[in-house]
Order: sequence, then C-alpha cells, then structure tokens
Amino acid sequence: MSKNFLLGVYDDEQPVLNAVNELRIKGIRVYDVYSPFAIHGMDDALGIKRTRLTIAAFIYGVIGCTLALSMMIYMNVFDWPMNIGGKPAFMGPDFIPVTFELTVLITALGMVGTFLYVSRLAPGVEGDLIDPRVTNDRFIIAVEIKNEEVRRKTEEVLKSYGSLEIRERLTEK
Amino acid sequence: MAENTKQYWQGIEVLNEDPEFLKHRHNEFAEELPLEDALSEDTASLKSNRRDFLKMFGFGISAAALAACRDTPVKKAIPFLVKPETITPGVANYFASTCSGCSSACGILVKVRDGRPIKIEGNELSFNGEGTCSVGQATVLSLYDNYRAQSPMKSGQVTTWAEADAAISKAVAEAKAGAGKLRVLTGTVNSPSTRKAVQTLLDGASDGKLVQYDAVSHYGMLAANQASFGKYALPTYQFDKAQVIAGINCDFLGTWISPAQFARQYATGRKLDDTKSTMSKHYQVESLLSLTGSNADERATIRPAQEGAFVVALYNEVAKKAGSTVYTNSEDPTPGKMAARIAADLWKHKGNSLVVCGSNNTNIQLVVNAINHLLGNYGTTLSLARTSNQKSGNDAEMAQLLADMKAGQVHTLILSGVNPVYDYPAGNEFKQALSKVKNTISLNDRLDETSAAVTWLCPDNHFLESWNDNEPLSGHFTLTQPTIPALFDTRQAIESYLTWGGSPKAAYDFVQENWKSSILGVTGNWNQSLHDGVYDNFSGGAEPALSGDMASAMGAAAGAGKNLGDLSVVLYEKVAIRDGSMANNPWLQEFPDPISKTSWDNYVTVSNKFAEDNSLNQGDLAEIKSGAYSVTLPVLIQPGQAYGTLGIAVGYGRAEGAGKTAAGVGQNAYPLAKASAEGVTYASTATITKVEGVYALAQTQIHHYYEGRNIVKETTLAEWQKDKKSGNPDVTLITPEGQKAPHTITLWDNYDHTKGHHWGMVIDLNDCTGCGSCVVACQAENNIAVVGKREVLVRREMHWMRIDRYYSFKDETGVEISKEKEMGKVKDFENVEVIFQPMLCQHCDNAPCETVCPVLATVHSAEGLNQQAYNRCIGTRYCANNCPYKVRRFNWFEYAGNEKFDYTMYNSLNRMVLNPDVTVRSRGVMEKCSFCVQKIQEGKLAAKKEGTVLADGAIKTACQKVCPSNAIHFGDKNDPNSTVSKLLQDDRNFQVLEEVKTLPNVSYLTKVRNIDAVNS
Amino acid sequence: MIQESAVRPPLVLGDKTYSQMTEDIMKPLETKPNLLWLAAFSIAALVMTMGFALIGYLFVEGTGVWGLNKTVGWAWDITNFVFWVGIGHAGTLISAVLLLFRQKWRTSINRAAEAMTIFAVMCAGIFPVIHTGRPWLAFWMLPLPNVHGSLWVNFNSPLLWDVFAISTYLTVSLVFWYIGLIPDIATVRDRAEGLRKTIYGALSFGWNGSARTWARYEVVCLILAGLSTPLVLSVHTIVSFDFATSVIPGWHTTIFPPYFVAGAIFSGFAMVHTLMILTRSIFKLKEYVTIYHIELMNIVIIITGSVVGLAYGTEFFIAWYSGVEYEQYAFLNRAFGPFAWAYWTMITCNVITPQLFWFNAIRKSATATFIISIFVNIGMWFERFVIIVTSLHRDYLPSSWAMYSPTFVEIGIFIGTFGLFFTLFLLFAKTLPVIALHEIKTVLKSSGEKYRQAAAHRVEKGSAGESPIMPEISLARNPQQETEI
Repeated sequence: MSKNFLLGVYDDEQPVLNAVNELRIKGIRVYDVYSPFAIHGMDDALGIKRTRLTIAAFIYGVIGCTLALSMMIYMNVFDWPMNIGGKPAFMGPDFIPVTFELTVLITALGMVGTFLYVSRLAPGVEGDLIDPRVTNDRFIIAVEIKNEEVRRKTEEVLKSYGSLEIRERLTEK
Repeated sequence: MAENTKQYWQGIEVLNEDPEFLKHRHNEFAEELPLEDALSEDTASLKSNRRDFLKMFGFGISAAALAACRDTPVKKAIPFLVKPETITPGVANYFASTCSGCSSACGILVKVRDGRPIKIEGNELSFNGEGTCSVGQATVLSLYDNYRAQSPMKSGQVTTWAEADAAISKAVAEAKAGAGKLRVLTGTVNSPSTRKAVQTLLDGASDGKLVQYDAVSHYGMLAANQASFGKYALPTYQFDKAQVIAGINCDFLGTWISPAQFARQYATGRKLDDTKSTMSKHYQVESLLSLTGSNADERATIRPAQEGAFVVALYNEVAKKAGSTVYTNSEDPTPGKMAARIAADLWKHKGNSLVVCGSNNTNIQLVVNAINHLLGNYGTTLSLARTSNQKSGNDAEMAQLLADMKAGQVHTLILSGVNPVYDYPAGNEFKQALSKVKNTISLNDRLDETSAAVTWLCPDNHFLESWNDNEPLSGHFTLTQPTIPALFDTRQAIESYLTWGGSPKAAYDFVQENWKSSILGVTGNWNQSLHDGVYDNFSGGAEPALSGDMASAMGAAAGAGKNLGDLSVVLYEKVAIRDGSMANNPWLQEFPDPISKTSWDNYVTVSNKFAEDNSLNQGDLAEIKSGAYSVTLPVLIQPGQAYGTLGIAVGYGRAEGAGKTAAGVGQNAYPLAKASAEGVTYASTATITKVEGVYALAQTQIHHYYEGRNIVKETTLAEWQKDKKSGNPDVTLITPEGQKAPHTITLWDNYDHTKGHHWGMVIDLNDCTGCGSCVVACQAENNIAVVGKREVLVRREMHWMRIDRYYSFKDETGVEISKEKEMGKVKDFENVEVIFQPMLCQHCDNAPCETVCPVLATVHSAEGLNQQAYNRCIGTRYCANNCPYKVRRFNWFEYAGNEKFDYTMYNSLNRMVLNPDVTVRSRGVMEKCSFCVQKIQEGKLAAKKEGTVLADGAIKTACQKVCPSNAIHFGDKNDPNSTVSKLLQDDRNFQVLEEVKTLPNVSYLTKVRNIDAVNS
Repeated sequence: MIQESAVRPPLVLGDKTYSQMTEDIMKPLETKPNLLWLAAFSIAALVMTMGFALIGYLFVEGTGVWGLNKTVGWAWDITNFVFWVGIGHAGTLISAVLLLFRQKWRTSINRAAEAMTIFAVMCAGIFPVIHTGRPWLAFWMLPLPNVHGSLWVNFNSPLLWDVFAISTYLTVSLVFWYIGLIPDIATVRDRAEGLRKTIYGALSFGWNGSARTWARYEVVCLILAGLSTPLVLSVHTIVSFDFATSVIPGWHTTIFPPYFVAGAIFSGFAMVHTLMILTRSIFKLKEYVTIYHIELMNIVIIITGSVVGLAYGTEFFIAWYSGVEYEQYAFLNRAFGPFAWAYWTMITCNVITPQLFWFNAIRKSATATFIISIFVNIGMWFERFVIIVTSLHRDYLPSSWAMYSPTFVEIGIFIGTFGLFFTLFLLFAKTLPVIALHEIKTVLKSSGEKYRQAAAHRVEKGSAGESPIMPEISLARNPQQETEI
C-alpha cells in the first residue's frame, strides 16, 4: 500500500526537537526525523527503544574469546605438544595476548556487521533519501498522514516551530 | 581322499587325439626353429617365417637400443648392480692413510662416502691419536681444488705424458751421462719408497743428488744434532713425560715440527682429574705471542736479539747448579732474571724436564742440546735413539744448489712439492738461476710461482689419490693409499721418478715390493699394515753421547743477536696457513688465527707500547723494510709481544697461479728472511714507516677482555690442590625453601629428561690449547659455508664452533685487570694471560631461542638437543638475538651455488667435499651446531643393528674426535658411567651464564694455571 | 545542550553555519588539486617507488644487503616497525579515548588522526614481513592448516602475538574509521554529480540520516571506542613484549609496556601535529584546527614526554638496583658506549625539547609546535634504535660484541615508507573529508565562536533573555513541561 508523508523541513536542530516533542504530546506518531548529524535527545523524543547492539557485542566477545583459547589449546596442547624452551605445553600467560586480540577483533567485526545489517546499510544500497539536503544543513520531520485530522494538527505544529517548508511525499511501501 | 580320475585336456587336439598333434606333443616348440639357417652364413637361403622375422626384428631393435647406451663414462661408474663388497651406498668407509698436509706425517683415517673422500680423521694407532691439526682437516678440500694442474704442461701449455716423459727421460739420461749436475729438489722426504724411487732416478749419474729444503727450516737443529750427536736428525719428544717444559721461541703446539703429536703429549702431561692432581709446568720465553706461549703458565718476552744470550744464560744457570763450566755471556739482564727462575725449576726436575727452542741458529741449538744434556733429559723427555724424520731440509745444500744453478752447472733440475721461487728467502735469485738450468721440471700440483718458471710441469697426485709411505719417526712406518681415482690427468711423483729413471712401475707395486723387501721383514704383514696404516718395528737403541766444542758454540750463541738492531722483524707461521703451500684452501683462509682472531690476511704485529711510541693504530698501513725487500701491511696491536719486534706471518701473498682463493691475500714475507749456508734466519733488522691509508682486518673477535664476567673460570694448581672447588665455588640462592642452587629454582616443572638419552658435552678449559682444529673439523663435517673476507669483516662468519680468546693483565699489585675501562691501569701489556673458551650451541634445556620462534622452527628434542628445522625457518633472527651465547648463524645470502661465494659450494668440483648426511642450508635460514646429530643417529642405528646398548664414546662429535688435546667430551648424561656424567660431577665443572638459567647441556671445566699462588 | 564555560576558547572560529561548514570542509574534495598538493603528492609517490624498488632488491639478493650481523640481528627493520606502530597510536587514542571522555576538541582532528593511524600501521606492517630471511614464506606465521599435518605456530612467541595484535589493530581502526566516514561520504554523495555520485553513493552504504540509524550509530561508535581503548594500549604493550620477554640485558625489562605506550602516544601526537599543521595550512582549515587544538595536544605531549623521560631514568635506577652486572653494563654502554651519540640524540629530542611547551608562547605557536613535533619524531625513532641496537651489540659474551652500521638499502626502505605514508595521506585528504563533518557540526552550538560570544554576552547581561538555546534545552529535557504552558 502507498503511504503519504508530511515533511517539515528545518535548518536548525532545536525547533525540530521541540516540534517532535509537541507532536508526541499531541499524540501524533512521528515516523522519523532526518538530520545531518545525531541530535542529542532525539531518541528519547521519538521514544526509540535503546538498541540491543551492546548485548550482541558482548556475545560476539564471548565467542571470540572461546575461539581463540580453544584454537591455541588445540594446536599447542592437544594436536602437537612440543618441548618449547622447556616450558610446559599449556603456558597460560602466553595465551593471553592472542586471546585478547581475537576477542576484540571478533567483537568489533561482529557488532559492526550487525549494525550495518539492522540499519540496512551496505555498499551500493540505495537509501530512501527524503531530501539530499539532510546530509548538509536540513532537518526533516516525517509524519505519516492517516487522515485529515492528523494532517491539520501536524501542519499546525510544524509551522508553529517555524518550518522552512512543508510538503507531502507519497512513498510506495 | 579319493584318487582324482578327472582328465583335463589341453586342447581340442588332445580330445580327438589328432595324430599330427600327438607326433609333436613332446617337443617344446610346435615347429622347428630355423636356427641353423639363422646361424648359417648365406642369408639368401634363410627361410625364416613371420614369427622369426619379428623375433629378429625385436632383437635388432633392442640390440641397437642397448648399443646406443654406450657413451656413459663406464670407466668412472661404479657398477652397483654387482655390488662391490666394500661399498654400501650411504654408508661411509674409512681407509687408513697418512696426512701430507705437512711433513709430520700424522696417521689418518679417510672417510669415504660413495667413492668420495669427504673427511679426515686421526688414526688412533698413530702418534697423533684420533686428533689432527686444522691443516690436516683441510687437506681433503685441497683434493677438490680446481686450481690443481689437470694435465702435464710444457711452459704453461697443455701437453701429454708421453711427450713429457720422452723429453725428460732424455734430459735425465744426458745429465747422467755427464752433461751436468742432475738435481732433485724436494721438501722433507721421509718416505722410504720415494727416496728409493729418487735413488733409481739418480743411479749411475755422474753428479746426481737429492736436495731437501723446508720452506720453514729446522736446519739449525739438524746441524746441531749432527755436531753434538753425529745424527742429522731431529729428536723425538715426550712432552707428556716432562714435568717442566721451557719453550724458547718455539710454537710446538701450533706449528713446530709435529704440533698435533706434541699437543696430545702436552695435554696428557697437564691433564687433571680424580686420579691425577699434578700437571707439568710450562715456561715460555718468546718474542711474539704464539699459541704455545698463550698456554704457558709463566711467560716472558725477549727480543730476537736476546734469544742467544738468553739460552746461554739459561745454560749457565743450570751449569751453576750442576757444578759445570759457566761461559761468558753478553751483559743483558733481561733474559738473565727469567733464566734463573726457569733454571731452578728445570734443575729441580732434572731428568724429567725439557727445553725446546725454535731458533734456526745452529749454535743456539747446540746450547739447547747441552742444557738438555746437563739436565739428563735425553732418554726420557727427548731421544735421539729414536729420531724424528719430520724435518730434514738442508739449508747448506740448498744454498749450494743455488750457487751451482747460478754457475750454470745444473743440467737437469726436478722440483717436487717445493716452491722455492715463492718461499725461499732468495726466491728471486732462484727464479733467475732457473733460467740457467737446461732442463727444469716441476712435480708440483699446480702452476704456482715455481712451476710457472720451469719448462715442464708434471703434476703429482694429491696424496688422497696416491700410494705412498712415510717414516716420520725412525721405525715408525705409515702407508698412504688412494681413496679416489686420480681426478685429473696427473701422475704420482714415484711413478714419474721411476719412468724417468728408466724402470717404470706402478706406485702400488713399487711401494709394496719395497715394504716387503726392506721394511716388513719377517714379522710384518702387508695387508695388516695397510689396514692399520701404521707399522712400527722400532727396536730401541742407545742414546748417542754428546760431543763437540761447547766454548765456541756458547760464544757464537751469546753473540747471535748482536747484529740485530733495536727493531727486528720476526717471521712466523700461522696455525692454519703454515708455510703457505695450502694457501688456496678456503677453510684455512677463513679460519681465524687462534691468537689474533684474524682471517684472510697477514699483517704486522707490534706490541702495545711500540704502537704507542710510534703512533701506530690498529689497521694503519705501514711499510716494513729489511735489506732491499719491503712489504706494506696493516698493523695489528698484539699484547704479549716483545717491544721492538715486528711479527709477520709467512704463507701469504701467493701469485695468481696458486689459485683464486690464495691470490692477492696478504703479502709475501719470506724475502724478509735471510738465506745462508748456515741456515735461514727468520729474524732480521728492519724499519717500519707508517704509510697513507688504513686497512680493515677481518677479525672474528674485536673485544678481547672478559670484563670480569663469570663466563670463564680459572684457578691455580696450588689452590686447586687445596680446594677442588677453587675458582668455581658453589652458588646458592636464598629461597622460601631455604638455600638452593640457581638451576633448581623454577616457575614450572622442568621436562623429564631422565628417560632415553640426554646428550651432553663437557669441555676442559685446562686441556684446550685453542688450536682450533675443531673449528675446521666442524666446518668439514657440517658443510658450513665459507663466506669470504668481505662477509667476515661485517661479522658474518658461519663457523658453528668458535674459540673465544680473552686477554687479561696484571697491574703492579698483581690484581687481575680484565675490564676494557681499566686497561689504562695496565703498565705492561707484554705480560698477558690468555684463556681460550670453545663456544658452540649450548643446547639449553630452557632454550631462549625456542620460545621466541614464531613458526616452531627450533624446538627441543626428547634427547635434549636444540633442533633447528631449516625448511621451517623463515629467518626472523629473533632466536639469534635472544641467544645469550650468540652461537646461531644466519644465511645472509644464498651461499651454495652462488658465484659470489665461489669457495666450497659453487664449483661442482669443490662441492664433492660436501657431506651428504648434512643439509646444505639455503638463504634466509638460521643454522647452528647440531651436536653432529647425523653422527648421533648413525651411532644409535649401528647399536640397534648390533642389538647392543649404545656404548659411551661410540658417538664422537667432529670437534671431539679431532681435538688433539682431547679437551672435548661428549656423551649421554643419563648413562651414569659415561665420561660426561662423571665430568659433570667434577668440582671444576661449570656452566656459562648459569644465572640466566638456560640449563645448557654443554659445560666447562675450570682452567688451572700451574703458578704459585703469589703471582710472579 | 550543555553550555561550556566561557573560559574555554572556541573550537570553531568565525561566523559559521552548518552549510558554511559543509562548504569549507568539502572544498578540498570538489576543487582541482592545488600546486602544493600536486608537488607534495608527486614527491611522495616518487619516494615510495624508490622504497619498493629497494625492497625488490632485498628480496632478490637476501637480507645480507642490510648491515646486520651475527650479533646484531635486528636494527633498522624492527626499529622502523616499532616507530611506525607508535605513530599509529594517536589516531585511535584521539578518536576512542577522547570520545569516551567526551572531549569535544577531538572532532576536528580525529578523522585525520585515524587515517594517519591506518597508514602508519600499514607502513609498520611492511617490516615484520621484509625483515624475514624468506619473506615469501612470511605467511607461515599464521596458524593455517597445512599439508604437513600438525604443523602449527608457536603461541609462546611474542613475534606471533605481534602478528595478531597488529592485524587486529589495523582491522578495528579501519572499521572504526570507515563507520565514522559513512555520514560524511553521504554528504559528499548528495553534493556530487555523475560518476562521483555513483562511487560515493556505493561507499555511503545508502546512508539517509534517519534518527533511528543515528541512535544505533552512536552506540556502535561508543562500543568501538570502548574496544579500541584497551586495544590501543595492548598493541604497544605486545610490541614491547618482543623485548621484555627476552633474556637480553636492556631488553629484559618489566617497565617496557607502560613505557612503550607512553612513548607511542608521545610520538603519535607529534606526528598528528606534523600532519595537521600541514593540512590546515594547505587546505585552509585554520578555523577548524585552531591554535587551541594545537595547545591541547601540546599538553598531552608534555605529559607523555615527561613519562618517557621518567622511564629512561627508572631503567637506569633498576639496572643499578638489580645488581646484575650485565644489566648495569648494558645501560652504561648505552649512555657512554660507542652508540652514545644515539642515546643523547634521543634524550635531547624526547626529554628536553618537549619541556619547551611549558612556555605559553611556544605552546601556542603552530610553527614552534611543528618544529618540535619533528624533533619528537626523530627522538622516538632513536629511542627504538637505542633499545634494539645498543642492547644487542654488547650482550653477555664479550667475544661476540660487534658494531652495526646501516647500508643504503635499510635507509632507503625507511625513507620509502614515508613516501608510502604521505602518498596515502595526500590521496585521503583529496578524496575524503579530513574533518569529521557530522561530528564537528554537533559542537558548533556549544563551541562555535559566534554562539560562544552570544553566550558570553548573555552572561554579562545576567539575563536568561531571548537566548536561542536555553529554554529549548529545558523543553528537550522533559516534554511535559510544555503542556502546562
């Protein structure tokens, strides 16, 4: 089905933040906000749930750590133990550096990978860009218009915070 | 079981009993073979059928194919299809032979692998035992020298033996007929058969003579013995029987007469263990610091000018005690003081003392004979009843020969194994004189300085290709047998003599007949002797009485040095290069001199003070002039050298003809000596002038002091006799569990090495003379690359085994000074103490190198070896950095098959010397001592095949086997009865850098100096 | 938004708007390269080529073309390796640690610093490979399954730890850097036309500035920062293990890890200076990389420089205190032995010159800073040279003591890596925004000069007045407030 959006364009982050807050108070669900940089407090304003990427990161870390340790223990202790400088095959301290490095590596890669996946970011992806200026100096509030009531209220609010322009956009979803 | 009644028919014909078939069923062939036709001459009547055609066709093809294979060099190939009983591929054979590296003729065993001699080892039946010197080790490489003459030559042009023989036989005949003098000039010939062969050549000549001369002459001694005892021979020495040894300018451990033999005796006399707690006392008085001097307990320096006076002073001191005549001496206090000390000690041990002198001055040697006679040493520590024939060069005859040649009286001159143009002090005169000789023939092995100046070059075989014999000591006969067919179109000297003498015969037959007729007698057995390599029929005899006019000798000796000025140049032999005849041997050129640690050069050594006074620095170029001749050499400042002496090694500065390796290395010093009928004098007045420029000397050690570190340990005999641990006290550390020995403290449990073998090595610093044979032996055994001067200069020599040499000095108060920063306190650099320490991979059980290798290229074996996997190594060099002993060697370049390193591994001929049991390392990998793991495996295998327990001493590493003084011991630490286990319990045993806790499997025994606790 | 104290100087100078900033920072990408850039680039490329040519020569001939010997098995190769790794520390440190500490001033330099890190680590990575005797087998250092069966690597070897540390560090830094770039690449994309648009479009991963993505994005950056911080410390710690775990006097020192890390930050910041002071003048970004930035970094340099100086002293004390004669000799030999010149060069450059930053004038002068930063770079190179060579050339057995001198090959290869480094950096500066645009925009309000003046003005009037900022902040904090109005 096709969706109809009302876009309010601003050139500063503060009014956007305020407008979003007001819209939410008015019980109008803001679809999304597009901005050239992260606006502090916007996630609260939009009521976005805290991301669980942190948990993912932790899990990746555990995986990395286990992988590293099991690899080293398999290779130097079980598969082919050797007398290296008279040290026992399992030299705990000697395994720490590699364990640490691999933990960090797999955490970083895993988490970034997840992030790109959930945010639908990948080389060559055509993002649905509301307006090319959002990567420069424009801030855009997008509200889905379900009926005239909503449209009216929204326009009112957006205007009240001095939007430079207000326009509609039809997207095929 | 029921009888089988079944009928089996072989074909349908059998079934229906075809008569035609039945007729032929008993014939092998179904139809007649047309053999008669085939064999008959007339092929026209040949009625062969298709099958026969095919048979013949097939035979023809295969016959042709076989015939086509004929161009293989059948002569050289060993037909292993019919296995020769002696040769098993991959298993080495050992043949007893005699070393011709020098004239001391040590008995050797030649290791032959698949028909190639690859290693020389000592023959325990011979006087040198299992040890040899570095030169002996290197002789095998000289065999594969591609600068050897590869065919007879006429004035430099290749010719044939037939042509040469024709011409030379004619010349010899003419000479014999009286056309002029016939002379054969050789080095020392102690080979009965060669003498006989030469004799057959000279037989019937109106004036024929064999003249012998040595590049480094001992004529003084020979003449002296002639005068005192009526024997033109050298005495045989028993250094092991001597309790006091006084050496005067005599390097008997390094170069004098028969070093390997003497080193063995010397070490025996100085060995210390549970059973023997006394050692001989060794005084050395010399001008240069020789290898022997560096081993002396007490040492004093004299200028060459003082030599005679000193000997006389020594005589007088002894004479005083003996109540014998005292002669007037030149007033020189310096020698006197030391002489008194030595004389006292000599007299205390009269009968068991020994005085040896390296001088070539007859009078001085006469005095030395007198001293030994006064001390009653003849018969015990030295003997003329049994003489040594190891040197017999006669300078007088040589001088006479030169005179005759100049006078144009010599018609035919045959030179064999001598190079007078190069090494006779009057070499140039000799060269000119050669042109006055009608026929000149050289039997040398290459187109060297002399051969280039003669008409005919009739190259002799290398001794490893020859049949020959020697009588180094009277009654002690040795045999030389070929271990490989002659590589080139060369012929043995013996055969040449016989051919030209008109009675050609194969050397083998000649030698054998000679032995059977005149040596073996009734008791001897040819095969046994050949197997042993040695046959001894010495029957003893009386010591000749001393006679002769002492007074005049004393006077002459005392005044011997008067014509030498304040500054004199002294020529000496280097341990490896010796007289220079083997200068084209890369192993010997790369071998660092035991004292100066310098390879690839000769140089002029000066004392520290002399250098200071004349503002000479290490490496400065200086011109040394004596008489008309002068050389320009770099300066090397040498502690322990007498002030006012310039030491220069002979044997360098060879011409192009000598070979690529030898040519242009150093300068020729021989002409600085003075030749005369009285004997060549090797010390002569000289001047030294600094010239422009500096010259880099390739030294393998540039820091000479051990910085007071606990890495070498020594004590004195007196202290050791009191306390066996002296100089090597137990070290314990305080731990929570109380006092503990450092090596017992550990963070983790050490590996259990008590099962199976645990290889270990113990090196007795007291036995080690530092001669360095082990370095060359290791190089030969393990295919170690020679890298050349340029690389040695940047400290990249590849020797797995090195011998560290440290100097230390005493200040006035007698306190030892071994730190560089304290050298300022040293007043007298001539009074030097030297200690040698062979250093090789210590095979640490806690090896620092193993831990750091990222790719596990070096790990520890169950038998305690520190292994290096060449093909796994990627060359990070981390192991070498982390090795506290710095014994790992890196292949900076591709040394094998690289023409930039054309020494032992490039040329296909040189490469024949490589040991097939040892990998030739490629570029970019680390290498190091492997404890001769190939020999360990071989030994274990042998024991396994015999089903016996591996006996102690069955496995000997190359360095251990070659050591003439038997200082290196190798064995299984887990075998409680092995020598190594016993020595590990010795109180003198210590590990280098024990505090680093590498747990090395190589340990050392403290050096003991036989000096009074209060240092003189 | 929190108001910074007016005492702090602004981080963005001049009267800037968001679009103005975009313009400024995008200019270098969208204009033709100026002569200065062209000249610099061609020189760098030339030097790089020379470097690679010499590496080729090295591969053909063998390690022997270097001046090493049986005693000194490492010299310029590992010195350069440690040197470059050290340089590579500032980048991640600035972007990670300073992000965690919410240091706003990092925003103008972190991008360039991270780029520098990556290029430096690339240069560093060359040496462990080419220093081996058989470089074509260097991959054996990886624990790869192979035809030889159970033939693995030695996890006890610090050199192997290096392999993991360096590769991890490179990868994570690269990821961190690129994540930071995505929004800015999007900006480039949306200003570009034709081919550039497609390329940057692909590189931008289809970024659309949605608030949801931004939310996750910030978390990701924070975690990456959290990971990079211990990583950056671990890398040089592990590099120092190469020496600390050995038995060689002068290497076998427990002080190495902190000492190396401090040194790394020290040299890293110096190198950032060298680069940024050049960049800001070449690309006219003085308003974004201000004197204040330079001053702040100079303060870090004083601190780390002093730490390094302290470490030098401590080493000597411990050598004396340990009572180990080998240790004592090793350190005396450093200061007074044949390589004393290297040691004193190091002291001068690392300990003395940075102390000049105590002077306000010098601390605040770009030129002086630039010169001193060069000194520090030289000094830090010599630090590694001193540690490696003077420890090796005279260790336990005096018989093996040797000297070392480099050949033109070693020197040439080192210079070559500078060529590589600057080539990469110049390319980066021309194709990607050298300043983190989307980050610096966030600090405009709080640290921009104009806004700062406005704020200061209000403070003087002592009135809440018609501030463009204050009320909205409260609103933003709790939406309910607004309903009551």
